[in-house]
Amino acid sequence: MAKISVNIDEKNLEVEVGKTILEVCRENGIEILTMCHLKGISDVGACRLCLVEIEGVNKLLSACTTKIAANMIIRTKTEKIKRYQRITSELFFAERNHVCSVCVANGKCDLQKLGYKTEMDHIRYPYLFPECEVDTSHPWYVLDHNRCIMCTRCVRVCAEVEGAHNWNVMNRGNKVRIISDFNTPWGESETCTSCGKCVHACPTGAIWPKAIVQGQLEKKPEMITELIEKRKMNL
Amino acid sequence: MKTETLTSDADLAKDPRIKLISAKIKKENFKPDALIEILHTAQNAYGYLPMNVLKYITKQLHLPPSRVYSTVTFYHFFSLKSKGDHTCLVCTGTACYVKGAQAILNEIEKQFSLKPGQVTADNKLGISVARCIGACGLAPAVVLDDEVLAKVNAEEIVNKINAKIVES
Ligand code: SF4
Ligand code: SF4
Ligand code: FES
Ligand code: FES
Repeated sequence: MAKISVNIDEKNLEVEVGKTILEVCRENGIEILTMCHLKGISDVGACRLCLVEIEGVNKLLSACTTKIAANMIIRTKTEKIKRYQRITSELFFAERNHVCSVCVANGKCDLQKLGYKTEMDHIRYPYLFPECEVDTSHPWYVLDHNRCIMCTRCVRVCAEVEGAHNWNVMNRGNKVRIISDFNTPWGESETCTSCGKCVHACPTGAIWPKAIVQGQLEKKPEMITELIEKRKMNL
Repeated sequence: MKTETLTSDADLAKDPRIKLISAKIKKENFKPDALIEILHTAQNAYGYLPMNVLKYITKQLHLPPSRVYSTVTFYHFFSLKSKGDHTCLVCTGTACYVKGAQAILNEIEKQFSLKPGQVTADNKLGISVARCIGACGLAPAVVLDDEVLAKVNAEEIVNKINAKIVES
């Protein structure tokens, strides 16, 4: 593999070409906040948390969807980035109805962790309090739109790993919602195989198994990454 | 909501508008990429996208249902709801035009104060037009709700519409 030199957070690195900035950072122990990224599935740059500054580029770019290039000078922890990350996490909380104290994911939620990481002590934006449905029609799983951050990890895992294409996104703006089939109740979906991959891919308490009580949710997104890697090896 | 109450699949197969759509699908070689163009054809033919028509297109193109629904709800041009409890589509294609489509539209406008694309204030009736619904032998053709009416005259149509409105 051809190597190129880059500089990230004042450190000179020799890295392989063809990788994303996020991959390079993770491989070199440089922390980047992410929400919509899940190793193994495609990246869409939906959450805007992984923003980095690149010298000579006058806007912030998402590390998960930007390929590393020779001689890039990248900064991942500037004040500007931190400010944006804090805004983004506040907006997540303001956009839907997140009541951690009664959530199945309480204590194990990536969104909650993000709040701590960005030092979000309060929210400066008015809460939207949208009316959101809770789809309990599936025999084993629940989708609670109140807790969804529209990262679309469920959509991608179902399409790319399971191949079922149950999920997608409907509408636009603040009316966007995750849907199964033709906005069909999940339990009546004709495409869902009930494999449970979306349950593990979902970083919040939006998708969860019914056989769980509050705060007991244990999700294993790394299982999905491993599954993808094992499949590659079998080929 | 008139999204679910629709013709059975058997009736759908007889609907001349579905032939328009299937012709379009064939012309596009069943390419999933042509989804938007095909949805346009369907929306023009029906005035909106009835659920079973969406399902038909989804099957024909072998697309995931959620992808189709996502596309439909993304663009404001597409509508899943019938524009009016009863819809009257007057074909203004060449054959129907020659056989008096305009007279039908004029009479509808006189009786219901509706121009094509409009819906009555009580949402009871919506009028639309289409360019050739593929039933030229039946010209002038009008589609009232899901029923294709052949060789109609203006007075007849107005009576049928009135009957529909009273019925509901
Ligand atoms: S359970 Fe599996 S098939 Fe069903 S929606 Fe989730 S990922 Fe898709
Ligand atoms: S349900 Fe979960 S995985 Fe799917 S978009 Fe919402 S937060 Fe993301
Ligand atoms: S992880 Fe890059 S935009 Fe979400
Ligand atoms: S012109 Fe009316 S059906 Fe062809």
